[in-house]
Amino acid sequence: MKKVVTLILALAMLLSCISISLAEDEITLDVIICQYGPKTNDWFTGTGMNGTSFVKKFEEANPGIKLNLEVVSWNDVYTVVSTRISNNNAPDILNLDSFADYANEGLLLPVSDYCPEELLNDFFPSFIEQSVIDGTVWAVPDLASARALYYNVDLLTEAGVEVPTTWAELEDACQALLDYYGGEVYPWGIDMTTDEGQAAFAYYAWGNGGGFVDDEGNWTVNSAENVEAIEFAIGLYNKGYTNPNPATQTRYDLQDMFGAGKLAMVIAPNSLPTYITDKGYTGVNYAVADIPHNEGKTSSSVGVMDRIMAFRDDSAPDQAARNEAIGKFLTFFYDPENYVGWVSMEDFLPAVNSAVEALVAANPSFEAWLKVLDGCKFYPTAKAEWIDVKQGAAAVEQSALTGGDVKTLLDELQNKITK
Amino acid sequence: MRSSVLVRHKWEPYLWLLPSVLLMTIFVVFPIGIVFKLSFSEISKAGMVGGFVGFDNFVEAVSAPVFGTVMMNTLVWVVSVVGLSTLFGFIIAMTLNQKFHGRKIARSIVVFPWATSLVIQASVWNYIIKYEYGNLNNVLLNLGIIQDAINWRASYQIEFAWECFVGIFVTIPFVTFCVLSGLQSIDGAYYEAATVDGATFWQKLRKITIPLVRPSLTVSTVLNVIYVFNSFPIIYTITKGAPANKTDTLITYLYMLAFYDQKKGPATALSVIGFLILCAVAGLYMAISLRKEDRS
Amino acid sequence: MSKKKNLAVLILCFCCMAVVLATFALPLVTFKTDIYVKRSANTFVGDEKYLEAKAEVGALAAEYEGSYIEEAVTERVNSKGVTTSMVTFTVKETITRSGFDFMKASFGYEPGMTGIGATGSAHAWLFLLLICLALLLWGSCGTLATPRGELSAKTDKLYLLAGVTALFAAIAAHAFVRAIIYTFSRQVDLLVGGHIQNEALLADLNTFLYHGKAGDSLLDLLKGLTVKINWSITPAFIAMLVLLCGITYLRYGKLKDTLVRGALYLFVIIVCIFILYPFYVMLITAFRSNAETTDMYFLNMLPTQWVWSNLKDICDRGVLQYLLNSVLLATGATAIAMVCGIPAAYAMARMRFKGRNLFLGFVIMSQMFSPVVLLVGISQLMNTLHLNDSIIGLMLINAAFNQAFAIWLLRGTFVSISPEMEQAACIDGCSTVGALWNILLPMAAPGIVTTLIFVFINSWNEYTISTVLISTPSNKPITVGITQFSSFNMIEWQYLFASALLATIPVIILFMCIEKHLAEGLTSGGVKG
Repeated sequence: MKKVVTLILALAMLLSCISISLAEDEITLDVIICQYGPKTNDWFTGTGMNGTSFVKKFEEANPGIKLNLEVVSWNDVYTVVSTRISNNNAPDILNLDSFADYANEGLLLPVSDYCPEELLNDFFPSFIEQSVIDGTVWAVPDLASARALYYNVDLLTEAGVEVPTTWAELEDACQALLDYYGGEVYPWGIDMTTDEGQAAFAYYAWGNGGGFVDDEGNWTVNSAENVEAIEFAIGLYNKGYTNPNPATQTRYDLQDMFGAGKLAMVIAPNSLPTYITDKGYTGVNYAVADIPHNEGKTSSSVGVMDRIMAFRDDSAPDQAARNEAIGKFLTFFYDPENYVGWVSMEDFLPAVNSAVEALVAANPSFEAWLKVLDGCKFYPTAKAEWIDVKQGAAAVEQSALTGGDVKTLLDELQNKITK
Repeated sequence: MRSSVLVRHKWEPYLWLLPSVLLMTIFVVFPIGIVFKLSFSEISKAGMVGGFVGFDNFVEAVSAPVFGTVMMNTLVWVVSVVGLSTLFGFIIAMTLNQKFHGRKIARSIVVFPWATSLVIQASVWNYIIKYEYGNLNNVLLNLGIIQDAINWRASYQIEFAWECFVGIFVTIPFVTFCVLSGLQSIDGAYYEAATVDGATFWQKLRKITIPLVRPSLTVSTVLNVIYVFNSFPIIYTITKGAPANKTDTLITYLYMLAFYDQKKGPATALSVIGFLILCAVAGLYMAISLRKEDRS
Repeated sequence: MSKKKNLAVLILCFCCMAVVLATFALPLVTFKTDIYVKRSANTFVGDEKYLEAKAEVGALAAEYEGSYIEEAVTERVNSKGVTTSMVTFTVKETITRSGFDFMKASFGYEPGMTGIGATGSAHAWLFLLLICLALLLWGSCGTLATPRGELSAKTDKLYLLAGVTALFAAIAAHAFVRAIIYTFSRQVDLLVGGHIQNEALLADLNTFLYHGKAGDSLLDLLKGLTVKINWSITPAFIAMLVLLCGITYLRYGKLKDTLVRGALYLFVIIVCIFILYPFYVMLITAFRSNAETTDMYFLNMLPTQWVWSNLKDICDRGVLQYLLNSVLLATGATAIAMVCGIPAAYAMARMRFKGRNLFLGFVIMSQMFSPVVLLVGISQLMNTLHLNDSIIGLMLINAAFNQAFAIWLLRGTFVSISPEMEQAACIDGCSTVGALWNILLPMAAPGIVTTLIFVFINSWNEYTISTVLISTPSNKPITVGITQFSSFNMIEWQYLFASALLATIPVIILFMCIEKHLAEGLTSGGVKG
């Protein structure tokens, strides 16, 4: 029994110690960064930045600011963030793809509050536009990627197939590949998993003149073009042109198949070449082309962008100092000396002008990709219902894969988000 | 009660229980209370907790079109995993209770699945059953057992069956050891007497073994129902509920609902519904099996 | 009379051996080899391209005697309404080979190569048969006159051994067939597809199929090679069956016993293989190279090269620190769970008081919410207590979530131990705490060890709460730490499984050490539950 009392006392003491140790005079910023690649964690917190880490280097350069930086895997990041927000314990700086909900609920600081003018002007204007709600910029892009069609040159040549530019040509090419290789090679890759369903939606809908929203920004998920587009995609699966399990075969699976020469064509991000090299696939001879589109429509490449945003913290004693600290973080992060290394390590495309020159010098293929990025369409992430649409698109595709009617499903989704 | 020791004060037993009660109250009951409160509150997409909304969350959760599918899946999942793992665990325990060479090693091996976390087991199986590069195809092809790689996940029904299989795989060790402990405590004299009377294997099984291991089975089944109902990593790792929630159970569905679809109110309501179902099922099962025990 | 029968059976067995050998000399396997395949795309029958291709194929076919040409046309109307056509020319030849041919060939199999080999399994088959016969002979020495039911223990063992060997021989025979129809043709497919490079194997195939005459066109010849086992192998299988029956007959008196024991061992072995399978996968994948983890041609069952540096890589990426955190976390959680659980279990087992059932219900209820569901609540609580991001917080949570289990097991253990000793001690003036500490706990050691292990493993494997609560990288337990190997850009299976292996081995060693206690502890704990 004495032991019990001692234990409780010990616990109580421990708790008080911890609360005391929290007293501070310097500013501590809680930062959550998403895990992009195998080296992300090491670069930020380990020794991956030429023997030091981002956090160490930042703290040395900015005395008085402490970084509590956490690298979270994409699988867990939504859970972590939303749990922390529910407990009024939001991070100071967050790196994520979506921001609209946080902005709409008044959780975010406007970018102009903390971001130095010079840095703000450095971002690609078309990127910043994607983070504007009601005329206010709520987040800054940290990186982007562009998607295009990759095809296995050897496989196509041997089967006597031209690179398809339209959907009709795509179907012909798929059939020819299927005939020639008799199922040994999947002609076309489709990823309709829960994490990437919105991308599949965009590839086909945008290639058919449809899309998530119309020109005024109203949701048009169930437009005739979209129905046709999704039916076309599902048709590719039903005709046996694709990988067998689009609902559960992730982008990793597709990229692996492509690298191993099991998949002839796939829409993939600009990081695919690095993936193939890092993974150690040899002997795959590939090239890049535009994403096929429907007859009479135009092809548009798909851009994906993630963001960095800062949360309000009304309990912070000195708001100005906090804002300044956040600004310092951003300035340090986007400093070409740090940013260039990071973007090229993760193999994404930059979001600021100042990084372009160094990146192109290091890797000439960047230039072509930057051009692609220029003409890219982005998801309407600034709209409040985006999360519903994103999840809904995947659900629609997956239901359609198991035999559901595309029109009905899209109508249901449209009703759900516009009600 | 003969087994009691001297209790000097009336309050003494409660003092003994205090640390445990304290620990559970703070770290389990308090969070449960929060969940109950949240289930009646409005929760924003980002996760901000708003005011009291009555049963709105419950209504929204139950009226979702996929709710029926998910509940059906949950039923199949719990019944098949608990039922089959109990059956196989029982058979394996009966076998391991025999005397044979290498029994010690076999007993250690049987508990191995327990030594790895569910997340890891699920990842391993997810890797094993991949069509294009999975290890199952690799092994079978290289042993010359199959001629061409087989798509082990040809449809979502099959994928769900795999998930149940993995659930059974990781649950068997627990059942085996519960039953094995029950078997070991049975006095060998019962069997000898039965053999003298000319009882067959099945008669011995029905009249001696099953009644005597029933208490351990009851407890292991109740705990298993709870654990399996709440089991989350297997389905989340292998299919994430795809396609369109058709392989979701209640727990993975509410997780996806809360953290992917950002509908935390209905998700919390679902967790309360799950809790009530569990209470009812576990309570009912306990009551029935306890009464049976009393009768026999 | 028995003597004669025994002798007859023995002779029968020898005959079987002879039949198998004789069968080996027959043409067992037919190879249909496509000497040349020409697919001519965008070609219509009769057009210029067609004639050109046909001439090319015809010239090639003339070089081989007994070859013939097959022609197939695939026509299709594409979306633009244009008809496309592809013509396939195939030049074919048939080759047969006997079992002895296979035994002589080596097919360039070397360690690490894929699949089981036809040569190896054929050797194994005959060799095992010989051993079986030798054992039978040895067993029969001087015992032919003994009636079947009265065989000496030694003879009986020898016969049993012979039976097992014959069984393995049958498996080897089966493997031989599989090796030819599946592995052999797959091997050839891989060679032809350029997925493996193996000069030795190519040379062997050249000798085996074309008497070394194929030369540069070998790869083309191997394209489209089909393999068929002929019916002439049937006598060998019948002979093997007869042999097995014969040996069983010799041990007739022990038939039921043999079958039951055999089935028992078979079942145990199958269960063990089954359970060990994912661990085998973990082990071999952990030491593969990155590319080989997703090898789509299934080239090897084992890593082609054991990449031991994977272990070093994961250590560089902080896995050791995570492991240490996990040990700390699990140990702490176990300690707290025991300190709180033992008194409660003791009270439940030894004392009578109001509200016992209430407490039981409370304990069970505490298990009914999955931690996943309670994330928000727990996280809020930890915030209030300032235990966010600390291992101590995780310890307390895990201890609390394992209370039900601990109390259930411990109470069972305590109930199973007679209270007389403690009562005597109490009368002697020893305090209740003293009685528990000095008398009951040592006696309950097995049950306590079991409980310790259970709580330890549950805390060791906890994932979801740690993910949300821990943000400092150096505080992460291993379950959270390994998520870094599946990033947005890549899943690094080899690192994932290497870390999983590292996390599993300590627990497995723990299991091995306390295997005896595990069952004992549960015996006392579980039954009286």
